Amino acid sequence: MFTKQLTGRRLWIAALIMPPLVFVCLFIVYPIISAFAYAFFEWSGLARGDFVWFENFHKVLFVEPFASRTVNAFSHNVFVFFALMVFQNGLGFVLAYFLWRELPGFRFHRIAVFLPVVLSTIVVGFLWRLFFHPLFGPVNAGLKALGLGFLTQPWLGQDTTALWSIVFANAWHMVGFPTLVFLAGMQRIPGEVLDAVRMETQSEWVKITKIVWPLVAPSATVVFTLLFVGAFNWFELPYIMVGLEGSPHGSTDVLGLYFYRTAFGNQSGAPPDFGAGSALAVLIFLFIAIVAGTLTIRMRRREIEL
Amino acid sequence: MVDLSLRGIKKRFRTVDVLHGIDLEIKDKELVVFVGPSGCGKSTLLRLVAGLDPITDGEFWMAGTKMNDVAPSRRGIAMVFQSYALYPHMDVYENMTFGARLMGLDNAEVERRIAEAARMLRLDALLKRRPKELSGGQRQRVAIGRALVRKPELLLLDEPLSNLDAALRSEVRLEIAKLHRDIGGTTIYVTHDQVEAMTLADRIVVMNQGRVEQFGSPRELYETPANTFVATFIGSPQMSLLEMERDGDRIGIAGTGSVVPGRLPAADERQVIVGVRPDAVVITPGEDGEGLSARVVYTEYLGDNAFTYVRLANGQLISVRCTPDTEFAIDAPVRVGLLPNKAHFFSSATKQRLPA
Ligand SMILES: Nc1ncnc2c1ncn2[C@@H]1O[C@H](COP(=O)(O)OP(=O)(O)OP(=O)(O)O)[C@@H](O)[C@H]1O
Ligand SMILES: [Mg+2]
Repeated sequence: MFTKQLTGRRLWIAALIMPPLVFVCLFIVYPIISAFAYAFFEWSGLARGDFVWFENFHKVLFVEPFASRTVNAFSHNVFVFFALMVFQNGLGFVLAYFLWRELPGFRFHRIAVFLPVVLSTIVVGFLWRLFFHPLFGPVNAGLKALGLGFLTQPWLGQDTTALWSIVFANAWHMVGFPTLVFLAGMQRIPGEVLDAVRMETQSEWVKITKIVWPLVAPSATVVFTLLFVGAFNWFELPYIMVGLEGSPHGSTDVLGLYFYRTAFGNQSGAPPDFGAGSALAVLIFLFIAIVAGTLTIRMRRREIEL
Repeated sequence: MVDLSLRGIKKRFRTVDVLHGIDLEIKDKELVVFVGPSGCGKSTLLRLVAGLDPITDGEFWMAGTKMNDVAPSRRGIAMVFQSYALYPHMDVYENMTFGARLMGLDNAEVERRIAEAARMLRLDALLKRRPKELSGGQRQRVAIGRALVRKPELLLLDEPLSNLDAALRSEVRLEIAKLHRDIGGTTIYVTHDQVEAMTLADRIVVMNQGRVEQFGSPRELYETPANTFVATFIGSPQMSLLEMERDGDRIGIAGTGSVVPGRLPAADERQVIVGVRPDAVVITPGEDGEGLSARVVYTEYLGDNAFTYVRLANGQLISVRCTPDTEFAIDAPVRVGLLPNKAHFFSSATKQRLPA
């Protein structure tokens, strides 16, 4: 009787777990393992050649011109990560604070901040490519109208401003997400705790740095981790705004674009190199998995019960 | 070193008037309790004093300085909140040093004050714990400690015992009374529990619907309540209020009987409200005789005391304190008499006390 029940229960569990498990294996685990495997072979087009041990990894990391392209792309990802950390998450925190304190106009801004988040990246990329157009774009037109004509630039066309412009578009698109998370964190702080601080100091700075931020920081874990993953997987926005080459002159090249060009070739005729592409993919995956994992575990520890 | 003066304090939230003009003079070193039913505006008034909400109209003075526009942290006031409001991410020690450091005290002074507060409130063993690792009573003591290390000129406590169980309540109440004796600063204490109010206060402010009904010592409030609200709010079981008619030196209720209450009010209104506390009434068994006729409803036996509830012939219920060995059958007929000079008289029209 007892064993029968147990088997019945086990059967149920198995039946419920199987479909998602099969799905995950088929579409996530299998491709990752394949990429691992591909990275160890030589490829010519889609035909697999010899098993070459770590040669592909060695190539993308140490052989020119691949190595310097890898470093160039990686350094741009790092830049994007920190720039977005400051401009997207930092601005998100500031916006959340203003919305939370219900400063004038907060009703309008609460909606305005969250609206872009629901747009697809494709649309946002296209929109901002138009906005940044040197001749017809509203950005330059606006600057001129404000009498700031000397500030007009070919924003996406010169290597000093291109990456900044894409980062800006990204921040505009996604700032609502950290804002939402921070706002939720702030709203969880009990009102009497805030009153207690007001009894002890009138400095807004002390209040933010010593009370609000420490109490909100734990909920930032998810924001930081997702930003990290997003910044190192960055692809759609630069792809749409500046194209596969990371133009101009590779100044917007990031790992995502570089991987795509390497694995699948590009218009300018470079042949696809599946082996090197897979090696890059594996390296990106390991880097993100290890750092994001550590980050999450470290920050989880700081969580505070209110 | 501070006396407080509240002059015509009003508070309005958008369209709701919550306080309708509060005037109070609170003396230096006094422990004043605000008491009143839920929603009467006690917390609101306390928050105005603390500076956490702006005063709509009227003036608040501390030690001769007008405080209306002074920031809460500059008023020399510390507050203990109902939910304790400890900083969840700081341990007990940090909770207590936070405010003291912000006052610009040097380290040695902060350490000295913490040691003193920790000793007084028995917190030494808890200094490294986070608030969530403390019991309710311990959190309460930390909250008080945090207020004390700032050595405030005025200490505010908003229902500090309401989250504690009954046993802990009376214990912490004694501690607060002792602290006030030892430290001796001006203190305002908010509660809706009249026992807390009576046992702690030098003077009590009885509030009702945004107004002060009476401000006086516990004895004054109990012995000479200013109106029927205070009369029924202070004392347990409640004072019974009877609509009665005066006739010479007797007062009576038509169809129920009459009694001789002793001292009568000076004013010569015929219709008066007579207030009798359970200890001002005596009952004797029987249908006939002197007094008001009534029937027993039930008896509450409390060991050292017993309260018998009787219903007068006109339907009104009154409570009577009896010796614990008296027993009345339910529905037994009794006569209700008054002890001399124990009744309170209030005007039927204004509900205000009628002086003798
Ligand atoms: N921020 C506010 N906005 C609108 N009305 C408020 C606000 N705060 C309090 N009130 C109203 O003011 C009245 C008094 O509230 P208050 O909190 O002072 O009561 P209280 O005497 O402290 O009651 P309790 O014993 O339940 O704590 C209540 O009717 C309440 O609804
Ligand atoms: Mg209250």
